[in-house]
Amino acid sequence: MTDREVATDGGAVAESGEPASASGGSALSRLRERDDFVVVASAAALIVFPFLLVDVLGIVGDVIGLSIGGYTGLPSLVLIYGIIVIGFNLLLGYTGLLSFGHAAFFGSAAYSAALFSQVVPSPLLMVVVGTLVATLLAWPIGFVSIRRSGVYFAVLTLTFGQALYFYALGPGSWLTNGDNGFSNIEADGLFLGALPFDAPLTPLPFLDSYTVMYGFAAVSMLVAVWVGNRIINSPYGLIFEALGENEERVEFVGLNVFRYKLMAFVISAVFAGVGGALFVIHEQYIHPTTGLYWIQSGDFVIMTVLGGTGGLVGPVFGAFVFEYVANVVSGVSLPAIGSIGSLWRFVLGAVFVTIVWVFPRGIYGAGEDLVAMLTDRSGGEGGGDTAAADGGERE
Amino acid sequence: MTLLRTDGLTKQFGGLVAVDDVSFQVDRGETRAVIGPNGAGKSTLINCITGALEPTAGSVEFDENDITNLSPHETVQTGISKSFQTASIFPGMTVRENVEIAALAAEHGSFEFNFLKRLSGFSAVHETADQMMSAVGLLGDDDTEAGSLPYGDKRRLEIAIALASEPELLLMDEPTAGMSPDETADTVDLVERLQEELGLTILIVEHDMEIIFRIADRILVLNRGQVIADGTPEEVQESERVQEAYLGGVEL
Ligand SMILES: Nc1ncnc2c1ncn2[C@@H]1O[C@H](COP(=O)(O)OP(=O)(O)OP(=O)(O)O)[C@@H](O)[C@H]1O
Ligand SMILES: [Mg+2]
Repeated sequence: MTDREVATDGGAVAESGEPASASGGSALSRLRERDDFVVVASAAALIVFPFLLVDVLGIVGDVIGLSIGGYTGLPSLVLIYGIIVIGFNLLLGYTGLLSFGHAAFFGSAAYSAALFSQVVPSPLLMVVVGTLVATLLAWPIGFVSIRRSGVYFAVLTLTFGQALYFYALGPGSWLTNGDNGFSNIEADGLFLGALPFDAPLTPLPFLDSYTVMYGFAAVSMLVAVWVGNRIINSPYGLIFEALGENEERVEFVGLNVFRYKLMAFVISAVFAGVGGALFVIHEQYIHPTTGLYWIQSGDFVIMTVLGGTGGLVGPVFGAFVFEYVANVVSGVSLPAIGSIGSLWRFVLGAVFVTIVWVFPRGIYGAGEDLVAMLTDRSGGEGGGDTAAADGGERE
Repeated sequence: MTLLRTDGLTKQFGGLVAVDDVSFQVDRGETRAVIGPNGAGKSTLINCITGALEPTAGSVEFDENDITNLSPHETVQTGISKSFQTASIFPGMTVRENVEIAALAAEHGSFEFNFLKRLSGFSAVHETADQMMSAVGLLGDDDTEAGSLPYGDKRRLEIAIALASEPELLLMDEPTAGMSPDETADTVDLVERLQEELGLTILIVEHDMEIIFRIADRILVLNRGQVIADGTPEEVQESERVQEAYLGGVEL
């Protein structure tokens, strides 16, 4: 994953370290265009993430007497959803298409990966097969849905998603095991089970959240970030954003709007497919409600908007907050109120409203504003606002 | 030499015939004007040429190819681009990005599978963008968010986007609408300069007669969808039907 590999994707284009026009962008945004920088920065974050979430928060929780630390499997789950919403944001944040049916791709990948594990119990191949199925499914669904825009597009995707849900629950039970859920997944480790997913990555007993599963999810996340970063710095990044801003004009500069929207749709489905396959590997179980129900589709939207649609990785923060509330806050027992339990959706709602109200550009946008403020104060010139508004992802 | 030719072009909206059997030609290198009272069908005519509207009857030929049934992006790819009557830009993107997207479409066609290829490596795109931004005098503003430009600059950006498509024929629908007299003068100078520098053929819809008579080589006059005159500014000025159509309207 270095700059060198660039030559393989097109050949003719000469790569130079410096963008062709030196006039645009800050040093920071130019850094962000560099794949190696983005991947290394993400890797650093992924290395400390479980430690902060599970170990540090766990200790803080012990001190204050509330169980606010994450459990061992949570970091992986956050990354899995994170991968999905990175792709979802290419569709929602950049291209401006709101899909309410992405559970279709998540769930179909999860089920096909689960089924494939019966034949070959290889997690890597499960991801490949799951992603392939999701991608194949995305072409016809996208082809039909993208002919309509706005609410009609959203409802069409929702309809397709729900059709799959009811199929998995009823007529497709012979494949999916219907309402009982699908649990005999045959892959519980890498290298034919030689490296079990719950095996620790470090000999240190307290870092038990660093499992083989986490490593698998983290590497997948790095690949997702790398690919995502390449996409937003490619012609597609510019075109997707332009589509979100003024579709008619894109058509009138001579670009095939339909095909680019379809590509945005399919690319986002690829990410959802990777996530779906990883999900079933992680959970060792899939049910129509977690896999295909429209609420799952809605949750992708919530995570993305919560995290912020302005940049590539913003939605990952949304996935984190979402899963943290769903899995940790729900287990917190408050002195006066008692256990939060299934009230976690109210907590999430409150968090969502607060963040979207105070920081309309989500958690990531708030972070960007903060950085812009700090750099402005330390002698940097103005213009921080413009750079922040377009996500600063391109030069 | 004829670059664009319409033959019996007709567009009906229900009972209303907005463009009625219009046949005319645009020669390579000329500045061709379309005038006519409000609702005469000027914008509709332009929209039938770009493919934004499907003509009810008739045909459009560009560079000896039939382009009647092409969609707008295909029409642009053949070499016709349009600057909009109201600036149609990408407000949240920088001026440079606005222009680059059109340059990109000119460079690599209407669709490519290049989503892993770096945009910064497309040097021809950046060069075209620089050239067009400097042609309209926006090169210094290339990092500005397009939405925050003053109105006149937005209109110039609109023209830069249309130019970055590297058209042979530029359609301009009222490029000076809503502009102050100063901005209008600037824009007219710009159009004249572009015509010379880029060897463009221009088809322009304009209300301001002074501008028309200054820049147009030939004028097509529409009224209620029909051609009522077609010729040099002098010929058109002397046409009785034109004077009738404009009676009580714009002074010629
Ligand atoms: N999409 C449409 N549906 C129905 N009628 C339309 C449509 N577009 C234009 N018309 C009608 O067609 C006629 C010609 O309109 P057009 O916009 O082409 O006129 P114009 O010459 O450009 O006028 P203006 O000088 O006001 O821009 C008008 O009567 C208009 O109301
Ligand atoms: Mg008009």
